Amino acid sequence: MIKFINVYKKFKEECIPLNNVDLSIAKGQVVVVCGPSGAGKSTLLRVIPRLEAIDRGEIIIDGLSVTNSRANLAKVRSEIGMVFQQFNLFPHKTAIQNIMLAPMKVRGLTRKQANKKAMALLERVGLVHKAGNYPSQLSGGEQQRIAIARSLAMEPGIMLFDEPTSALDPELIQEVLDVMISLAREGGMTMIVVSHEIGFAKKVADRVLFMDNGVILEDGSPHEVLISPKHQRARDFMSNVLHVRDDLREENATFLN
Amino acid sequence: MYFIEQFSNWKFYLVGAYPAGSMGGLLLNIVLAAIALSLSFFFAIILGCGRLSPKKYIRYPFGWFIDIVRSTPLLMIVFWFYFFLPYLLGEHVTVFGSAAFALVVYGASYQAEIVRAGILAVPRGQMEAALTVGLSKYQAMRYIIMPQAFKIMLPSFISFFVSLFKDTSIAYIIGVIELTQSGVIVSQRQPDRIYAAYLCVALGFWTVSYSISRFATSLEKRLGTIDLWRFSLVPGKR
Repeated sequence: MIKFINVYKKFKEECIPLNNVDLSIAKGQVVVVCGPSGAGKSTLLRVIPRLEAIDRGEIIIDGLSVTNSRANLAKVRSEIGMVFQQFNLFPHKTAIQNIMLAPMKVRGLTRKQANKKAMALLERVGLVHKAGNYPSQLSGGEQQRIAIARSLAMEPGIMLFDEPTSALDPELIQEVLDVMISLAREGGMTMIVVSHEIGFAKKVADRVLFMDNGVILEDGSPHEVLISPKHQRARDFMSNVLHVRDDLREENATFLN
Repeated sequence: MYFIEQFSNWKFYLVGAYPAGSMGGLLLNIVLAAIALSLSFFFAIILGCGRLSPKKYIRYPFGWFIDIVRSTPLLMIVFWFYFFLPYLLGEHVTVFGSAAFALVVYGASYQAEIVRAGILAVPRGQMEAALTVGLSKYQAMRYIIMPQAFKIMLPSFISFFVSLFKDTSIAYIIGVIELTQSGVIVSQRQPDRIYAAYLCVALGFWTVSYSISRFATSLEKRLGTIDLWRFSLVPGKR
């Protein structure tokens, strides 16, 4: 369980990505966070493994405070997987080495055990045949799937996805979403996904948050937040996101006819 | 003609009185450079990382040290250790020892800045990714940041290596009998052959420096085949 208690963070004047956020996410819940750019979605994720420090408040994971200065950060972080918009694979290591590194160095697995585990994960993301490739030899979608496998190698209880498909070519988005959907359906893992993939949210999310200006405006089931949000701000945003899609679809239809 | 004639002194230029007497000439420059390079490289990594420390009480002293050395002429540093080291460690410190010490201090400070720039050039996301898979900060530096940073640093390191090799000639000023000193000695013995003697000195430095650069170029090409994702050093060439 992840608990935010009155979390406040300020970058500079007038830029408050987290404005007294109170939030509690149950174990195994799949949460999608959406909202306009600069709303604080990424910061909401990044403060969990303390990639950013917070100014006030407390974040508690499974009863342990991670904002405490005495918290064992490496331990906390090894229980949390994070997938980034820019993939952030290690460019000097092959796909399989990327996955094997942390289990060997942190969990103390032997090379053989780590290799076995990595191969199983590569199979899961459908990239066994790319095991020996360097990240530069992989497409964006493949890199992101390797990045997911790398996080899963530590068997984290929590997976954080920071706009995992935003940097991808449109045709590569689905292969990454498929991996995430199968993860979500498997259950047992807490997932927080910052994304505007409404389709993903509708399919597997237990809960959708809408953020604006560092505040969580909407919090509810996908249907409540995506289709009938209470706040005008959220309604505008949703209609924009959804409308763009509709327009595109119409355009494509006309084009194809 | 005088120049050709100078080659009869080749042994003196290359190794000094070695093996019968003390080592000198070009060999001494090479030994001095090798000592200075290997030691200063080691200290440069410590200095460079120290300067990047998030803790002020570590970062500031390292920064001061680097800046003070970098804003002092090498000649001053050589003089300074020439007078200071015997005072500190006793009279048995040789001129070679103090020259080597000065070059290590000088080299470490300059290379510390190369180290710092190299580390900063690695995208921030690499450290974040390394930390979120559970590596400690030290492990992240050791396995993720440094290997990438070294590739970025390599060209700067090599050009500094070449210039440090040439800078060993400054040891002449405190009486180390290296190549420059050899040239001076020869030219004093045969005052009419001054040009020829210094031409030989230049040839010696050039040969070694040029060989290092050539070797470096081939090394870079070879390492360049390991693709470093998006920060390839030559645009368009992956």
